[in-house]
Amino acid sequence: MQKPRSLSNPAALRDATVLRHVSQLGSARDGLREWRLQRLTAIALIPLGLYFAASVLWLATSDRMTAAAWLGSPVPALLVMLFVVAALVHALVGLRSVLLDYVHTRSRRLAADLFVRAAVVILAGASVLAVLKLFLGH
Amino acid sequence: MPTATSAASKAKTQAKLAVVTPPRAASDPKTSDQRTVQRPLSPFMFPTWYRFQITSALSILHRITGIGLALGSIVLAWWLIAVAAGGELFAATHAFIVSPIGLLLLFCWSIAFFYHLCNGVRHLAWDAGHGFELRTAARSGYAVVAATVLLTVLAWLYVFLA
Repeated sequence: MQKPRSLSNPAALRDATVLRHVSQLGSARDGLREWRLQRLTAIALIPLGLYFAASVLWLATSDRMTAAAWLGSPVPALLVMLFVVAALVHALVGLRSVLLDYVHTRSRRLAADLFVRAAVVILAGASVLAVLKLFLGH
Repeated sequence: MPTATSAASKAKTQAKLAVVTPPRAASDPKTSDQRTVQRPLSPFMFPTWYRFQITSALSILHRITGIGLALGSIVLAWWLIAVAAGGELFAATHAFIVSPIGLLLLFCWSIAFFYHLCNGVRHLAWDAGHGFELRTAARSGYAVVAATVLLTVLAWLYVFLA
């Protein structure tokens, strides 16, 4: 007997347009939102990434006090926080699409998805907290 | 004699099609099932089944560098925390970064960063509907490789000379 509603259905997310496969997985209509989020963060990351790369190159030849003073000043603090958050959101969308392509067991994919989400939240939180500490401590 | 000509060309086309079109195996369900099972599966087509193409090579490289950069965000967060904390943590972090392994990782991340950035712009151009011609796609691919090498070399020249 076929069980179309089974949670272990390996084709569950792959065949997202087949109603009986998605019936238990939400609307399956937020693909466009993810696509747009990835492109929006990509566009934001062009200037933010170039700014960050240039700053890191400049900091590579200076000491901790310079780095701390730089991260503590308003504009770099804001731009670095925006860079980290945009980069991690971009990474989350990208990593999830990689998992969707390569991890075919639903339970494993769910576990990996939760892990990636947790990692992104922790890394973003830690980075923002570190920059805020330098900014507020100034 | 238009009818004879068209009949001749039709026969030619059919002869061509006969060469190109593989024989149907659908009549035998067992054979058709076997074909389905033995067909190579995406995404592991690239090295064994397809010949080298700059477009597909750069496509998988975009993913690989993306995953690499995502891993790099761990070190970025760690470095930000170390700068904020100072003291021993920063000293240890700095020692790791300037160690041979740290520098090798930084070098890889710099290539990945510049590559993903340049190829990302290429992807955004595609999203806007530009550059789909095969020749254009190949050329923009080589341009991305050239830009990556140039930016990486410039960045590391700056670090070592400044």
